[in-house]
Amino acid sequence: MALTITCPVCGKRNGYEFRYGGEDKGPRPVEEGMTPRSWCDYVHMNACVAGVQKEWWCHKNGCGAWFTIHRNTLTNLEVEGVEVTS
Amino acid sequence: MRLDRLPTLRINPSETCTLHYNGKTSAGVAGDTVATALYANGVRVFGRSLKYHRPRGLYSLDGECSNTCMAVDGIPNVRAENTPAKNGMHIDAQNVQGSADFDWMGFMDKLDWLMPAGFYYRTLHKPACLWPFALKQVRKVAGLGKISPDFKMKGRYAEIYPTADVCVIGGGAAGMSAALAAAEGGLRVILLEARPWLGGSFDYRVSPYDGEKALYQRARELAAQVEAAANIRVFKHAANVGLYNNNLVTAFQVGPEGGAFDERYIEIRAASVVVATGCIERPLLFENNERPGVMQVGCAHRLARTYGLLPGRRAVFSIGHDLGLEAAVDLCDLGMEIACVADIREDGQNPDLLLALAEREIPLLRGWVAAKAYGAKQVKKVTLRTLEGSVKRQLECDLLVASAGRTPLTGPLTLAQARLRFDAHTGYFLPADLPAKMHAAGSLTGRNHPLAIEASGRLAGLKAAADCGANTAEAVAAAAARLSQLPGPERGTKLVMAPVKGRKSFICFDEDTTVKNIKQAIDMGFDVPELIKRFTSAGTGPGQGGIPGHNLPLFAARYQALAGATPVPTTARVPLVPTLLATYAGAHHDMCKRTPLDELQKRDGGVFRRIGVWQRARYFSEDFSCREEVLNVRNNVGMLDGSTLGKFRLHGPDALKALQRVYVGNMVKLTPGKIKYSAMCNEDGCVIDDGVVVKIAENDYYFTTSTVRAGETAEWFRYHTRYDGWDYHIVNFTDALGVINVSGPNARKVLQKVADADLSNEAFPFGGYREFVIQGGIPVRAMRLGFVGELSYELHAPASYMVCLWQILAAAGKEFGIRNFGVEAQNVLRMEKCHIILGVESEQRTNLLDLGLGFLWDRHKTETKTVGTVALRQVEADPARLRLVGIEMDDPRRAPRDGSILVDKRIRGYVCTARRSFTLERSVGMALVEAEMAALGTRLEIYEDECNGQKLAARVVPMPFYDPQGNRMRM
Repeated sequence: MALTITCPVCGKRNGYEFRYGGEDKGPRPVEEGMTPRSWCDYVHMNACVAGVQKEWWCHKNGCGAWFTIHRNTLTNLEVEGVEVTS
Repeated sequence: MRLDRLPTLRINPSETCTLHYNGKTSAGVAGDTVATALYANGVRVFGRSLKYHRPRGLYSLDGECSNTCMAVDGIPNVRAENTPAKNGMHIDAQNVQGSADFDWMGFMDKLDWLMPAGFYYRTLHKPACLWPFALKQVRKVAGLGKISPDFKMKGRYAEIYPTADVCVIGGGAAGMSAALAAAEGGLRVILLEARPWLGGSFDYRVSPYDGEKALYQRARELAAQVEAAANIRVFKHAANVGLYNNNLVTAFQVGPEGGAFDERYIEIRAASVVVATGCIERPLLFENNERPGVMQVGCAHRLARTYGLLPGRRAVFSIGHDLGLEAAVDLCDLGMEIACVADIREDGQNPDLLLALAEREIPLLRGWVAAKAYGAKQVKKVTLRTLEGSVKRQLECDLLVASAGRTPLTGPLTLAQARLRFDAHTGYFLPADLPAKMHAAGSLTGRNHPLAIEASGRLAGLKAAADCGANTAEAVAAAAARLSQLPGPERGTKLVMAPVKGRKSFICFDEDTTVKNIKQAIDMGFDVPELIKRFTSAGTGPGQGGIPGHNLPLFAARYQALAGATPVPTTARVPLVPTLLATYAGAHHDMCKRTPLDELQKRDGGVFRRIGVWQRARYFSEDFSCREEVLNVRNNVGMLDGSTLGKFRLHGPDALKALQRVYVGNMVKLTPGKIKYSAMCNEDGCVIDDGVVVKIAENDYYFTTSTVRAGETAEWFRYHTRYDGWDYHIVNFTDALGVINVSGPNARKVLQKVADADLSNEAFPFGGYREFVIQGGIPVRAMRLGFVGELSYELHAPASYMVCLWQILAAAGKEFGIRNFGVEAQNVLRMEKCHIILGVESEQRTNLLDLGLGFLWDRHKTETKTVGTVALRQVEADPARLRLVGIEMDDPRRAPRDGSILVDKRIRGYVCTARRSFTLERSVGMALVEAEMAALGTRLEIYEDECNGQKLAARVVPMPFYDPQGNRMRM
C-alpha cells in the first residue's frame, strides 16, 4: 500500500497497519424523529469527495487509537496541515 | 568453444552443469543462464511464436520478449534469458507440435493473410454456435506454455519490507554514482539491480573510460565502492516491478542457488527515489526481423563478453548507434568475421570508432539498413538497402546484428505518473516533469558519454539526499556545474522502419503483430496507440511491451503524419517485468493461535480444527458424532478448554457510558457478583456479538465476547465513542487469561474438592460471579453459566496457571470419571438447549429480533444512543424477516447437514445447526425461516446437497428441546 498515515500517537506508518473508519460525518445524530431513510443515509451514504476529505482511521496494528486525517482521494496521499472548509 | 580468458566474463568455465533439453543433455557452465547454456550447445530455435509458429531465438538477452520463454521443470513461460541455469533442469520448448526446430504447425506462417488485425474479434462469431468450436481450435494452435492441472509449485518464497532514505533503481554507472553520492552524508540507501551483478552497460565493454581504465574496470571499481559502503544496501538480481506514489518501490529478487529463498518480494518505502534504469535497444523493423540469428547489439556483444560465446561466424550489422560500431570492432577482435556494418546514420559517428573499423577493414555503409532476412530457421542471407530504397545488396551471413538505436526504460517513470514527452533531438520519450522527490539519471535522460552518465547520477543522488533533509546545496551546485561541462544528450536516429511493406516486419514478437497489422488497425479507425495496442494486442504479451513499447507510438505517429499525430507512449503497468504468482503469494505461513492447554489436549487425543485464528480441539475420539462426550456431560461431568473466548476489562469514570453505548442491555442495573448476558448490534440492528458482563467494582467491568469478535472489540468500543472524549480504558485479556468450563451434574463435587470457597447453590447460585482460589494458589474468576444446559462453572485464570489448573481439576474429577469434551460436543449440547452461536444461527443480515433475543434490548435507554437501536425500532414490525425456529426431523436418526436449504416452490430459509441428539433420541436443530413458516407445527422440506431430489421432512417445534424449564443449570 502506497499510503502512509500519521498516527497521532505512533507517528507516520505504513497504511497496512490501519483500518479505514469512513468519512467524518460528525457525532451521532439525535435519534428522535429519524426516519428509516434519514437513518440509512447517515449510516450508509457518503460524500465521496474527489479531493481532500477528512476521514477516520484506526491504528489497529499499533496503539489502537481512532483519529482523523485529511487525505486527497485523487492521489491517495495524506495531506498534512490542511483544514477543509466544506 | 568458450572464450574463457576475457576479463569481462561473468561465467566460471571450470564449473559445469547439465541441463536436459529435447531428449539430450546440454552442458552449461556456472554463471550461464538457461538461454546461454542452450546457445552454447548449438540451440538456435528456442520456441515458436504465438499465432504463426514462427521460429524464434535469442534477441535481447534480457527477456524483453517471449522468444525465449520456455518450460523449466514444469513451470511454463520462464524467461530463459533471465533464469540462471541449474544442474539437472528440464527444459522444454513452448507452443510446438514436435520440436522447436521441426514444428508441424509451421505452416501457420503462410496463413497470415487469414488473420488480419483483430480477426478473432470480428470473425468466427457468426453464427454464435460456431464460436465454442472455433475457440477450441484457436486455443489448440495458439498460445504460450501449458501447465499441468496437478502441477505443484516448488520453492521457497519470501518477502521483505525495508525502508530507506533514498532508493536507487538501476545499478549501472549512473545508479551506482547516485547511490554513492546519496550515501556520502550517512543516509540509508537501497540500490536495486535487475541483473545478478552491478555495472549496467559498462559491465561488458572494453572501450576506454578515461585515459587509464576501460569501462568494465570502472564499473567494477564503482561496484566495489558501493558494496563497501555500509549504508548502501544492494539488491542484485532484483527487478523493479512497481513504483507507486509516496515513493513505494516494489521489486522481485531471484535468490542465489542454495540460498534462503528462491524468489522474494521486496517492498521499499523510500523518502526519495532515483530512477536510473538506462536504455534498451529499439528494435529495427524490417522483413523477418525476428528470425533466429537476428539479434540486438547488446545481445551479441554480451554473449561474447559476458558469457564467452561468439554469437556467429560471419555477421552483418545494421545499426543506428555508436554502440553498434563499438560491438562490431570488439567482436571482430574476438575472432568473428564482420561482413559489413550498415549504419542508419549518414554522419555523426564517433571518429575513433570509424578509425577502428577502417583499421580492421570492416566496410561501413552509411545511410543503409537491413530490409529483409532470409533463411527458413536461421538467418542465411540479408538484403541491405539504402534508406530511400533505391539500391540494394545481398550478403550471406549467419548473424544479423540489428538495432535502430536506443530507447529509455521509462516504465518506472510512467508508473510514478511522470508525463513523458517525445524529444525530437534524442528520439527518446523523456520525462517532462517528475513527481516530488523523484529524480532521473543516466542514459535514460539521453546522455551517452560515460563521464556524463556518472555525473548525472551523482547530481541525482545529491538531490535525493537533499530531499531527505541533507544539506547538499553546495555539492548539488558543483555537480550541476560539472555535468553542464560534459557532453549533453546526443542526437538519436529517427528511423523506425526499413523501406519495406511490413507484412513480415514484427513490431511485437509476443503477439505476432506485424507492421501491416498496425496499419490495418489504424485504417479501421483505431488511431491512438492505446487503442491500437488493445486491438492488435501488440505489447500485451509476457515481455510487458519491451519490444513494441516505443516503436508502436512512433510508427503510429508516422503513419498518421498527415493528421498531425504526435508520438504518445502507451501506459506501462505493474508488474514491469513478468513475475511468478508464487512470489506474490509469498511464504504464506499459516498463522494461528494456540491455547495454553494445547499440549495437554493433544496428549488426550484431541482432534484439532481451525476456528477463526485459533486451533481448537473439536473432537476427542474418532466418533465425530461425539456421543460419549455429550452423554458424559449430561450424566456426569466434562471439561472444555474455552480459552479462546474474548475477555476484556473496561474501567474508568466513563466505562459505564461506553458499555451503554455498545450493549443493547441496560448496564446500570448491574450488581457486583452477578453476571448479565447481553448482545451488541451494528448500526443496522444486526447482531455482531454476545457475551456476559460483570461489574467487578465501581467503574470497573469485566466482559466476554465470542471467539471471533475478540480481535475487533476494543476497536468497536473506541469507534462508537470516538466523538465523545470519554475517559475509559479497555484492556484485552483474551490471551492473558485462559478459560476452563466444568460442566455436568457432578461439576460441583469436583470443584468443591479444590476450591477454597463455598460453592453450594445458595452461596454461588446460577448467574453468579465469584472470585476464589484453587488449591491455595491459583486465583480464578468463576461464572455460573448454562451454555451447555447443565450445572456449569466457567473458570477464568491467568494463562500461565492453566496447565496446572487443568491437571488439578482432572485429578479431582478422576473419581467421578471426568473427561474432556470438545467444541463439537459443546455445539450439540448447546443446540439441544437452543443457545445460539453468532455466525452459526445468524448471518450478516440477522438482527436481534430475528433471533428471538428482543428481551435483551432495553428500549427505555434512548439517551445512551445505543448502536443499532434506531434500526431495531424501525424494523420491529417488518413481516418480511427470517425467524429462528426449532425443527424436529421426522426421521429421529437423520439430521440434515448444516446450511441445507428449506424449500417449497422456492427457497424459504436454511438449517443453521441440526444434529442427531443422543440425549433426546430425536434429530433436532435450529433454522432461519420466513416468518409465515415460523408457526409451531409447520411442515418443512429440506433440500440437502446431493440428495437427488429426496427431500427430508421436518416440522417446527418449541425451543429449547432439552430441559425447557432450565432446572438442570440451576441445580
